Amino acid sequence: MAEVREVLGEAPEETALRILVVEDEVLIALELECLLEDLGHVSVGVAGSSADAIALGRTASPDVALVDIHLVDGPTGVEVARQLSRDPHITVVFMTANAKRIPPDFAGALGVIVKPYSERAVAGALAYVAQCRAGRPPSADALDGFHLAPALGGGAWTGGAP
Amino acid sequence: MTGFPTGASLPTGVTVEVFAAAFEASPTPMVVTDPRRGDNPVVWANGAFLALTGYGREELYGHNCRLLQGPLTDEAVLQRMRVALAAGRPFEGELLNYRKDGTTFWNGMTINPVRDEAGEVVFFFSAQADMTDKHRLEVAMRDANDALEREVAERTADLRSALEQKTALLHEVDHRVKNNLQVISSLMLLKARRTPEGDARDALQAMADRIGALSTAHRMLYSEGDVSRFDFREFTADLIADLAAGLDEERTRIETEVDSLALSAAMAAPLALLIHELATNALRHAFPEARRGRVAIEARRCAAGMRLVIEDDGVGMASAPDNPAGFGRTLVEMVVRQLRGNLEWSDAGPGTRIAITIPLTEADAP
Repeated sequence: MAEVREVLGEAPEETALRILVVEDEVLIALELECLLEDLGHVSVGVAGSSADAIALGRTASPDVALVDIHLVDGPTGVEVARQLSRDPHITVVFMTANAKRIPPDFAGALGVIVKPYSERAVAGALAYVAQCRAGRPPSADALDGFHLAPALGGGAWTGGAP
Repeated sequence: MTGFPTGASLPTGVTVEVFAAAFEASPTPMVVTDPRRGDNPVVWANGAFLALTGYGREELYGHNCRLLQGPLTDEAVLQRMRVALAAGRPFEGELLNYRKDGTTFWNGMTINPVRDEAGEVVFFFSAQADMTDKHRLEVAMRDANDALEREVAERTADLRSALEQKTALLHEVDHRVKNNLQVISSLMLLKARRTPEGDARDALQAMADRIGALSTAHRMLYSEGDVSRFDFREFTADLIADLAAGLDEERTRIETEVDSLALSAAMAAPLALLIHELATNALRHAFPEARRGRVAIEARRCAAGMRLVIEDDGVGMASAPDNPAGFGRTLVEMVVRQLRGNLEWSDAGPGTRIAITIPLTEADAP
């Protein structure tokens, strides 16, 4: 439980992440930015369409992209994840209620935070990402609401839907 | 004519003429050919054979039976017949034959060699039957079968496509419900963030937490293969994990002991609200001023259905500050009523004990 408390608290400075939010629901994006800030991370921008997301991925130099599958221009989040994850500096995490659409290879993403998510799920996932990026062996315990891609030990992904 | 091997002896008076007359009168078409003459010609045919083929005797006698064949006669069967006859073996088969007027009929025939005492084949005797009706029936049945299979295949394809549509629709609705819950939760939290600390902000935060509990219920539903049930133990663990995340574990902790129960999906939302409300209430009011303690949540199958006990070792009901709005308690009572259960608040000394019995039918928990 101490671990959970730690991840819910503000991230230490060296683990503060620059985060790109790819989300077409303005309210969700806005609230998520507030949450990221509470957790000690930095939002580098919000993209509602695939074109904006890919452009921001190039110019805003994010560490992490939180990517919804369904964007303004359709279910294009998978392609966004594929493009962004080609950049070795960007860790992509899906954030979607449409998890059934995630391909088996996760389009290069590290995992998925399933909507509706709790603040704890977001905090836990980002702490995990921060540890991964710092080269420390991350503990996959206490990862509620965050599923790793199958290739990274997350087990077969059933889509979390019927 | 040489002698023939005889079987049963003939009674007195049964002469060759009697046989000839009997064969002539038989309704079974019969024909005899003579392989010792070139091209194995017909040497005798009875009236039924003439009626079947439409030929007169003079048109048949001296001719090979192949005059009954035509373009659609099966060459493979003919070949089998030729090989059998050349080897002096009997033959049985069906051939499409042509009458004199060109119409066709299915001719089911047996051909037997007739041997003399030396064992040499001197005649072939053949009896026929018109199998046209049987063939027509077979074709009709095959057609009916094919039609039936086609219909079944079409129906199956229709059903499969209907199921695919329903599944896609279910995914779509599931996705929308989850997305909308996220929007509602974000809306509440945004407003809470912009509200000065105090009652209004606490109320908004409390509503956002309740929506969070409902969200957990929806996340758990449909995540397994069975869309109509959820695992109550996993579900409670998920709910409690969200609550426990905000706790100082040194001071307060939540313990759960929950039976593994596959409950009906319809119970997920009310149970999520109920457990969230009671656990939150205990955490908020039982331990004022840094008091240490624990909240225990226990759910067991019982004869009536399920017994849910939430108990804390805090300050107890009497010491808790009076909540004028009492929304949490009203909510709990409403949800218990919806679940057709009953609720007992009691003093656990120290602390408060809430026992809820929820009846489960066969449909709720098999």
